[in-house]
Amino acid sequence: MTRSPLLRSLLRIGAMAGKEAIHVRRDPRTLALALVMPVVMLFLFGYGVSTDLDQIPMVVADQDQSEASRALTLAFDGSREFKVVGRPAPEGIEALFRGGAAVAALVVPRGYQQDLLLGRKAQVQVMLDGADPVVANQVLAKADAIARVESQRLAGAAFARLQPPLQVKVWTRYNPEGRSALYMVPGLSAFLLAITAVMLTALAIAGEWERGSMEQLFASPVGRLEIVLGKLLPYLVLGLLELLLVVAFGALVFDVPIRGSLPLVMLFGLVFLAGMLGQGLFISVVARNQLVATQAGALSAMLPSIILSGMIFPIENMPLPLQAISRLIPARYLVHGLRGILLKGNGLEVLWPDLLAMALFAVAILGLATARFKRRVA
Amino acid sequence: MSLFWRTARRQLAAVFRKEVRQTIRDRRVMVLLVVAPLIQTVIFGFAVDFDVDRVPAVLVDQDHSDQSRLHARRVLADQTLRHAGDVPGVPEADQALDDGRAAAALVIPSGLARDLASQRPAEVQLLLDGTDPNRAMVASGAVSRYFGEVGERLIRERLEAAGRGSPAQVVLVPRVLYNPRLRTAPYIVPGIAGTLLVIVTTLVTAMGLSREREMGTMEQVLVTPIRPIWLLIGKLLPFLVIGIFDVLLLVAVGSWVFEVPLRGSLLVGAAGVLLYLISTLGVGLLISTLSQNQQQAFLGGFIFMMPAILLSGVMTPIRGMPGWLQVITWLNPVRHFAEVMRGVLMRGAGFADLWFQLAFLAALGAGVMALAASRFRTQIG
Repeated sequence: MTRSPLLRSLLRIGAMAGKEAIHVRRDPRTLALALVMPVVMLFLFGYGVSTDLDQIPMVVADQDQSEASRALTLAFDGSREFKVVGRPAPEGIEALFRGGAAVAALVVPRGYQQDLLLGRKAQVQVMLDGADPVVANQVLAKADAIARVESQRLAGAAFARLQPPLQVKVWTRYNPEGRSALYMVPGLSAFLLAITAVMLTALAIAGEWERGSMEQLFASPVGRLEIVLGKLLPYLVLGLLELLLVVAFGALVFDVPIRGSLPLVMLFGLVFLAGMLGQGLFISVVARNQLVATQAGALSAMLPSIILSGMIFPIENMPLPLQAISRLIPARYLVHGLRGILLKGNGLEVLWPDLLAMALFAVAILGLATARFKRRVA
Repeated sequence: MSLFWRTARRQLAAVFRKEVRQTIRDRRVMVLLVVAPLIQTVIFGFAVDFDVDRVPAVLVDQDHSDQSRLHARRVLADQTLRHAGDVPGVPEADQALDDGRAAAALVIPSGLARDLASQRPAEVQLLLDGTDPNRAMVASGAVSRYFGEVGERLIRERLEAAGRGSPAQVVLVPRVLYNPRLRTAPYIVPGIAGTLLVIVTTLVTAMGLSREREMGTMEQVLVTPIRPIWLLIGKLLPFLVIGIFDVLLLVAVGSWVFEVPLRGSLLVGAAGVLLYLISTLGVGLLISTLSQNQQQAFLGGFIFMMPAILLSGVMTPIRGMPGWLQVITWLNPVRHFAEVMRGVLMRGAGFADLWFQLAFLAALGAGVMALAASRFRTQIG
């Protein structure tokens, strides 16, 4: 029996992968958690993450008590955006903010109706709880819009006869209804892949060091590199399964379109996973203990994939040094690539730089990790 | 009775000492529990900015008039949009959206100046990349507001020219409390603190105890005369201490680096921290009793952590969630912790404002801890 060395090597890698796959399968809880997690997260993101608010609780301190001030209150209360939840005295407003009962207050000063009747600008104060800037910004924009409509209503006949002289027509592409899920699902895939690949490999391999079974493997005729490749393979498969699951779930439950090519999605996933597995391997070699590996993984893979990838917070809003750091985070390229493929229908002609960047990262980190690995066992 | 307490104290102190030594001996663990949260807070604080600005926009000016140039310059000079070049026509603008060079395109059709001069209705178009709905909303809001104001001014001018005088107008004067410049960092730092505490308490407890189970060292300790309850408390105490230390560190960094104020009652804040840590440690303990090895403990901790963070109001407002989900968030300790911290730090709130959140935290902590401790005792007993 003479087999080529390559074939024999492949057989040994296959055997290692088979062994690791049995480990994963014997531990159905891990497997279930790894596959249930994406679904849970998808639901949470799909339903839970929305920055658009309505029925914002507001109080009104009406010092004018006139027909005009009541009309203004009604304009706010009748809108979808605001709900008037109380009418305190102006001194009582802050206490309501502190207790969280209201986040905005309208203070209508005495003389409001008079000003309007005289054709003057009638000033109304909006007090805001600025502790949450997202909410505060929306309150400002929405209150502004309501005040403008009220102005137009008051101007009445004079305005009605004039057509608006200048209008803006907005065309929104890719996601015309502005649904958060469409934005979140591609980003979420990157995040989940990063977790699964880095954390599970780091934990699995660190576990072998911890238990001392790695030394036993070295005593077998399987080469060091073959051990590594064999151990990583099952997690590669698990990661790709997760990606498919997330994309399929996103399409079925949240109507996330797949405008580009699905094989390209898988190619992006594959290259990204190669880099993440390399990172997991690197962490496990350095940490050699599962507790340290988790914390290192959380710090180096999990959090950057949420914060610096553009998944939730746009990269162009970050300060320049952080924008530069984000270029070193592979998740950034996957998030951009998946959004391009799924939502815009981009192909490789647009997205090749993303693929190239992920491939470079994968080659570099795998090289580094295997070098460390060899030195460690030598 | 006094003998009982003396033994108890001795046992507790012994376990505590052993755990502290073990934790300190692995310097990497200490680095990860103390330095990592610090780095993350600083990076998070700088990276997270809810203000949408500098949206790259291309301009399609088909009018080539003084008017169109003036309006285009003014719209693009607003911080919200960033001028990313001119393109000749709509197909090229589409292309720029497709390949991501721009996220918005302002199209000024030919005839704008002529229409405005002859008082005919004029129209400009805005093409948006809707991939990020929030960014699209902000960009369209900025452009609509600008042209809305231009339109209103035109109407007033025309009315005045016709000698009919200016009509009444309601003007809103905003007054923002607590955070007048609406900076994101003071808002996000208390949230980050809550998030990081989950990592350094829940995750570490869950994995540490699972590790003991994996290695069988828990059984070894149980053959000693130490009672399980003191063993348990002694094991959790060091992490409580680390958690408190981390909070102090993060609040200090928050106030030095990000100018997070500290306006309210420190006592209420401390109570919030303590009750919160009891509940996160309890969850960690509960997860460890449910898992057979560290991998499972990690995944379990993670499955708790992600919803807890996402549904806490730290990343996105709770009021934006559907009603049934808002009810579920009452069970989330991170939510109450973030509210207490935000109230104390920014709004100067005291017990009267926050008793509800504190009561919820206490109930959650007691419930989870009792459940976890009883599982722990039946498992090892």
